[in-house]
Amino acid sequence: MNRRWFLVALTSAPATLAQAQLRSLAAGEVLRGRFKQERLLKGFDRPLISTGDFVLDHGLGLIWRTEQPFAIMTVITSAGLVQSIDGEETTRLAAARLPFLARLYDLLGAALSGDWRALDKLFQVTRQGDPGHWEIVLEPHAGADPVAMPLRSVTLRGGQFLDEAKIVRLDGDSDQLAFSGQSLGTSLSAAESERLRGAGK
Amino acid sequence: MAAIWLALVLLLGFNLAWRVHQGLTFRTDLMALLPRDEADPVLQQINDNIAGSLSRRVAILVGDRDRDHARAAAAGMTRALEASSLFEPLALRSGSRQFAELGALYFPYREGILSEDDRQRLLDGKAETLKARALSQVFGIAGMADARLLRGDPFLLLPAFFTALPLPSSNLGLDDGMLSVTDAGMTWGLVSGRLLGDPYSLDIQSRLNTAFEAASRQARAGSPDVQILHGGAVFFAGAGATAALEEMSTLGIVSGIGTMALVLLVFRALTPLLLSLLAIGVGMGAGLSVSLLLFGDLHILAMLLGLSLIGIAVDYSLYYCVEMFSPGQRTPRERLTRVMPGITLGLVTTVVGYATFLLAPFPGLRQVAAFSVAGLIASFATVVFWLPLLDRRGPVRHGSGLLAATALLWRFWEASKLRPARVAVLIVLAGVAIAGACRITPLDDVRRMQSLAPDLVAEQARMQHIAGFAIGTQFFVVRAADDETALRNEETLLDRLRSARRAGALRGYRAPASFIPSAKRQRENRALRQGRLETPLLAGYLARIGLQAAERDVAPDDVLTLAMAAKVEPLAEMSRELTVPNANGVVHVVMLDGVSQPDLVRAAAIGIDGVNFVDPAADFSRLLGRYRRRAVALIAVSAVLMVPLLALRYGVSGAIRVMLPAVLATALVPLAKALWGEPFTFFDTIALVLVLSIAVDYAVFCAEADAAYKPVALLGVWMAMASTALSFGLLIRSQAAAVHAVGGTMLLGVITAFLLAPMAGTHRVTKDD
Repeated sequence: MNRRWFLVALTSAPATLAQAQLRSLAAGEVLRGRFKQERLLKGFDRPLISTGDFVLDHGLGLIWRTEQPFAIMTVITSAGLVQSIDGEETTRLAAARLPFLARLYDLLGAALSGDWRALDKLFQVTRQGDPGHWEIVLEPHAGADPVAMPLRSVTLRGGQFLDEAKIVRLDGDSDQLAFSGQSLGTSLSAAESERLRGAGK
Repeated sequence: MAAIWLALVLLLGFNLAWRVHQGLTFRTDLMALLPRDEADPVLQQINDNIAGSLSRRVAILVGDRDRDHARAAAAGMTRALEASSLFEPLALRSGSRQFAELGALYFPYREGILSEDDRQRLLDGKAETLKARALSQVFGIAGMADARLLRGDPFLLLPAFFTALPLPSSNLGLDDGMLSVTDAGMTWGLVSGRLLGDPYSLDIQSRLNTAFEAASRQARAGSPDVQILHGGAVFFAGAGATAALEEMSTLGIVSGIGTMALVLLVFRALTPLLLSLLAIGVGMGAGLSVSLLLFGDLHILAMLLGLSLIGIAVDYSLYYCVEMFSPGQRTPRERLTRVMPGITLGLVTTVVGYATFLLAPFPGLRQVAAFSVAGLIASFATVVFWLPLLDRRGPVRHGSGLLAATALLWRFWEASKLRPARVAVLIVLAGVAIAGACRITPLDDVRRMQSLAPDLVAEQARMQHIAGFAIGTQFFVVRAADDETALRNEETLLDRLRSARRAGALRGYRAPASFIPSAKRQRENRALRQGRLETPLLAGYLARIGLQAAERDVAPDDVLTLAMAAKVEPLAEMSRELTVPNANGVVHVVMLDGVSQPDLVRAAAIGIDGVNFVDPAADFSRLLGRYRRRAVALIAVSAVLMVPLLALRYGVSGAIRVMLPAVLATALVPLAKALWGEPFTFFDTIALVLVLSIAVDYAVFCAEADAAYKPVALLGVWMAMASTALSFGLLIRSQAAAVHAVGGTMLLGVITAFLLAPMAGTHRVTKDD
């Protein structure tokens, strides 16, 4: 379960980490964009590709809406994760049972304020490039518990926003994420707010 | 005789000194005072076993805003408690190994394993939901599946089973090797384990508390914001015992000083005080010594009630000493002769009262009875054999004021012109009785009678809110010939509990079958999975995700058993908690959390063989109710038994006259208390047994008095009443509801008995002494 959370937070956090290169995401600001996720699993005929869009409100949480190959709605808040297909809830996990999530929320907050020291606790952080074209590589410290940190590395690339993320698992399987069309807005739609609040119940 | 009595007292004294030297042990659990249910001794024994292991559980939550601080403080707490050698922490190894071991145990048997919800979905024909969920996990954000897992478990049903497993609670999760929860920005680590020792032993309680407080100080030194919540029977019992011990010493001191002051004030001389102290001391010592001989250890509440005996034990010496006010008697022998019939009858009736305690199967009351009977006999013997030898006092001359005061009470009951006033008083009393009878409410709920330390109760509630669990006290016992039968019966039960939970009757449950389904159910699950999920949906699903059907890794057709699971560390703890070793077959336990509608939960077991709902508090409450009614009958029996004893001296009508004020007082007290809104509990009936004995005692003294001597006799009764009110009346201040009830009933009882006692002397018909 921890791995799941970890990826969740990282795929959302870097979008805002990138922000930190220029300025922090202000309270009430909302980041929107599209994603394409390519999952490479050994032993499968082809990559598992999914596309869709996302909305991030730092105070409320993340909505990750997969459109292809079929509609999956994943809502992540400080209270937990809720996944649904065609409006029917298929998975609900309480954050209270997954303290690792709370840790990642702390991390998210730290990253938003540009405080990279919080990341140092969990990762070896390597930064390259300039604010226009930067790359950050995160690697777990030697001796980290593989259950709490089931990753080999996370590579983030971007400019004004996060553009690419590559997450490599311990067994070599990996997720490649490409982001596009990012924009900053000021408000969520009523349906989005409702979804984020509903997931918190 | 005096010498023989001295030898006996010395023997008892040596015994007591030896026992004190060895270290006295006190029992502190309220339940130990109460009677046992003898209907099903095997079940009772299993219940004791489980209740015992529940009472040894200790759970502490250590929280801080900073996760590292919280974890360090929780780990420090575990180490410190473990170092006290009183605490065995729950075995929790590194998270990765736990998960790996669980995975390795279940993986080969995955075909027969389904979570409750998934099984229900398949039964309801909702296989598509499971397929959609699997697809969303494979394609969606944060996918956790890899090829190996998908080949073995394409629909990811085993991870769903693990997620649904009833870990200690619904909130706690395993974070880096520690059970933790986050709540309102705080990270809480759970320190949980077993107490190595008797939670009701004072010694263990104080040692654990010392270790806990030291560890808490250390944790606060590490991080000043750390918060610590602790729960477990041992802490509650410890707080209760500390309160009882404090009460006992306060009570002993106050009632001792009060009685001494009373004696000094009334007699204005030291001799009566010293004589009374001697009688009390011998009485107390003998009571304690005999109880220890009989029982080995004493319950702290028995001790508390026994101590109140100071107030009764002093009566005999007071009656004796009051003779100093009587102008007629000059020598100690004459004084003794004068009071002898009164105190003998008083002793006999009081002993009859206490002896009725022995007729009821209450372990605690037997202790009280033994303590009291031995103490009273010893006080009596001391007065009879020793006091005349030690008494060098002439008559006391300053008593006219006191005697005039008691004469007033006599006048009220005897003067013919005051008859209308007497009638008026009796009418008022009848009114009180009727009004009280309308309002009297019995109370048997033991939960409302236990005085639990309020701050601990608040901590417990907060723990329950944060961690989602309480150290529950209700459970089902499942008895069967073998594990398979037990598991099947549990499954029937769990299916019903599932709907009870949806109806809000309880929050959660945990049974061996939650972890390991019966072989029958594993085969059903396998058929269900194949027939409803794999046959119609698997090929399409695999094609969609791009995994070749030929590559599937199908599990062998085997069944996972409880015995196999118990050998694997993460489940060994569950096995220890939820199975009870038993010579005749197997015993499983279904633990319950947050039961709010016990009747609905109890009903879930109806018709399932060998399954019993156990609610110790409710069971004890029922027993209390049954014995409350029995105790009322016992009071009537002892009142009837006293009549022939009294008739030997006063004749039948005289005996009834003596019994009248005593019976009136006994009946009036609970009715009058009801007017105050006090409930009528089993413990009130116990006090009423004493009220009856004491009231007869008072009445006998009044009945013994001839005209000239009446004020002196009543002064003796007044002093006896005052000293009893001082000692028992103080019990009303007790935190323990049981002791409070005894105190209130005794206080009101002895005052009423005193005021009514002269009724017995109004028309005395026997010969002169």
